[in-house]
Amino acid sequence: MKKNKLKKAMAFGLAALMAFGISGCGGGDAKDAASGQDITVISREEGSGTRDAFVEITGVLSGDTDRTVDSAEISNSTSVVTQSVAGNEAAIGYISMGSMSEQVKAVKVNGVAASVDSVKSGDYELQRPFNIVTKGKLAELPQDFVNFIMSADGQAIIEEEGYIAINGEAEGYQAKGLSGSITLAGSTSVAPVMEVLADQYKKQNPDVAIEIQQTGSGAGIQSTIEGVCDIGMASRALADDEVEKGLDTQEIALDGIAVIVNKTNDVEDLAMEEIMQIFTGEITNWADVQ
Amino acid sequence: MRNHSENAMKAVFLAAACVSIIAVILICVFLFASGIPAILEIGPFDFLLGRSWKPGQGLYGIFPMIIGSIYVTAGAIIIGVPIGLFCAVFLARYCPKGLYRIAKPAINLLAGIPSIVYGFFGLMVVVPLVQNYAGGSGKSLLTASVLLGIMILPTIINVSESNIRAVPEHYYEGSLALGATKERSIFRAVLPAAKMGILAGVILGIGRAIGETMAVVMVCGNQAILPEHITSGVRTLTANIVLEMGYASGLHRDALIATAVVLFVFILLINLSFTALKRRGA
Amino acid sequence: MKENNGNFWIVYKRRPASLAMRIMVIISAVITAAIIVSLIGYILVNGISHIKPELFAWTFNTENMSMMPAIVSTVYMTVLSLVMAVPVGVFSAIYLVEYAKRGSRLVKVMRLTAETLQGIPSIVYGLFGYILFVVMLGWSYSFLAGAVTLAIMILPLIIRTTEEALLSVPDSYREGSFGLGAGKRYTIFKLILPCAVPGILAGIILAIGRIVGESAALLFTAGTVAQVPGSIFDSARTLSVHMYALLSEGLYTDEAYATAVVLLVLVICINGISGLIAKKLVAR
Repeated sequence: MKKNKLKKAMAFGLAALMAFGISGCGGGDAKDAASGQDITVISREEGSGTRDAFVEITGVLSGDTDRTVDSAEISNSTSVVTQSVAGNEAAIGYISMGSMSEQVKAVKVNGVAASVDSVKSGDYELQRPFNIVTKGKLAELPQDFVNFIMSADGQAIIEEEGYIAINGEAEGYQAKGLSGSITLAGSTSVAPVMEVLADQYKKQNPDVAIEIQQTGSGAGIQSTIEGVCDIGMASRALADDEVEKGLDTQEIALDGIAVIVNKTNDVEDLAMEEIMQIFTGEITNWADVQ
Repeated sequence: MRNHSENAMKAVFLAAACVSIIAVILICVFLFASGIPAILEIGPFDFLLGRSWKPGQGLYGIFPMIIGSIYVTAGAIIIGVPIGLFCAVFLARYCPKGLYRIAKPAINLLAGIPSIVYGFFGLMVVVPLVQNYAGGSGKSLLTASVLLGIMILPTIINVSESNIRAVPEHYYEGSLALGATKERSIFRAVLPAAKMGILAGVILGIGRAIGETMAVVMVCGNQAILPEHITSGVRTLTANIVLEMGYASGLHRDALIATAVVLFVFILLINLSFTALKRRGA
Repeated sequence: MKENNGNFWIVYKRRPASLAMRIMVIISAVITAAIIVSLIGYILVNGISHIKPELFAWTFNTENMSMMPAIVSTVYMTVLSLVMAVPVGVFSAIYLVEYAKRGSRLVKVMRLTAETLQGIPSIVYGLFGYILFVVMLGWSYSFLAGAVTLAIMILPLIIRTTEEALLSVPDSYREGSFGLGAGKRYTIFKLILPCAVPGILAGIILAIGRIVGESAALLFTAGTVAQVPGSIFDSARTLSVHMYALLSEGLYTDEAYATAVVLLVLVICINGISGLIAKKLVAR
């Protein structure tokens, strides 16, 4: 008798909890739900190449002071930014254009939509270079890989991945049949496209092994200085003290930084000034935008 | 001859036994050697009590993170301990045998799930739930506490259960025989006898909660400010390290290692109280 | 079940506190069950549909995002860490149980250090490994740095479980063996250790679980390269780190779900084996 009761109570409770959970997941489909809500600002961690470029271009950085509002959520991955914006009507964040997903909406900046063309023409101002960093004269094999990246083949791959090629009139790449291994380290933004480049390069040069470490721009540059890796990847321009240590940089591509909001958000267009005010905490409510 | 090889073997065993002592010494030396100079350079008061963490401007105050870690751990205990304790009572005293055979491995499974999977689950499921029912952005003190509460559940349940079972049966039966209800017998006679062991389990849970990294960093919002509300974001000591270590260099890097030193000291204190408790229990 | 349904309610009417307690117990059990069901259900429901044969291709490239190299690295990492930690751990436990005088200062210090090691959060291990192995010893991000860090991490676990296993071997075994004129070394290796094997094995399985689930300590020591390591000085990522890396790029959420399923299955297997061993132990 008692056993039965216990089981029934458990089954009932379980069902109730599950129902609660499911209804919890389904909420928030109303159109334009964001208007009037406080803005949830989502930024990247201090030191991220994406953040460095973003704060510099938008003017959040004034002099040496990063004025990003203290209450901004900080996340160390593109995925968490995307998920957070997708799940929060009132959120705003920024990610690399190449990582744009269907789950969120990119807003126009100063009336210009983020696209390959608008970045290339310079109309879309939120853009940054992808750099590779090297120290001194490169050995034959890494140099060959760099040649491949800058060749027509390499630049075509970059365009395919949603980034913007930098060298329009490059020539094709001829494999030299080299062998050995190359180590790259640095930006997590550059790494995905670099992995594709490395795959294609290995198809033409089967005897070459390429190792890609995702350590972040700063650490990648540091590793290059220390000689731990052959080529560093950076998603921002080099700082002065880094240049002084005898590094050479080469731009391999351009990337737009997309400002993303929830799909239910009515906002389509933000002025650069507004973005700056949102991220510095001067505008805190969606009602005050536009 | 035989004595020689016996002694040699003993020396090998002794050497092995010293490895863990050496490991602790190494960990202390290397953490402190990198961390302490950084703390001195920043200034112990500015470091431990400073309210702003802005490495770009040379501000390294970890006070918000210390408070964040304490709040999140306390929240996890508030959520995890009652549920875990009652659940342990259920397993030890109410659970039918057939159900137990499923329930026990399920709880052990909960203990074995990698923290990165918990973090993913927290981001996808717990964050939207909290956002809808508690307000705010969903990434908050509350979310982190709930997730950590879930993560320490198996520790609390397993330790409490085995301690409840270790109480001699006559405590329970004697109380029943005096006319007490089953619940009164359990909560007034059995649990007090198992108190020390359960407390030890709670301390283990605290240790796990305060040291958890990968799950927390995905759901706590990571704002390096003092939380004003239960739905505000927080940053814990562990999150601070994992967020910025990849990029940091120079004093920034050493400040992060110093953060680990602070965390290490916290853990040492928890361990000491654990040992002291065990000694009192024994 | 002594009470029948009738006086069940009468008893509880007079004892509201008892009724409240009973309800709390059941609610807690239900909540725990709901957590387990929803957690595992969520991962399986979302993950299984994303498991594709390409995910298990031998080499990783950006088209297949294969987790096979990560699985292989996980196995290598587990084996290498165990090879380092198990002998040291078992030998220390032997010293503690068979040689050291109970309550001597060394034993006290050892116990304290083992407890300290056990409590250290994995991120602190990660930083330590980074400072000592990656930077100071110049191993860079490498398989070896990761494995040594993990070996130190699981050492206390192995010591504790082995100690318990050795202590559970009856003293009469030792006395009998000495009585027959066997040396201490012979007694330990031929008699006591074989008896303690299941207990030691249980500890090793626990350690494997910990290695498989670890990500924070490996991120700063073994790095994130997605290939099967050619040598111990190459960088590699285990499954947990693989999942973290997939999540951080933001492009591969589906694959991350699939990885979570594989991790879950691994944990279930490990727990199953440890359950079997535990049953054997009880049976003896």
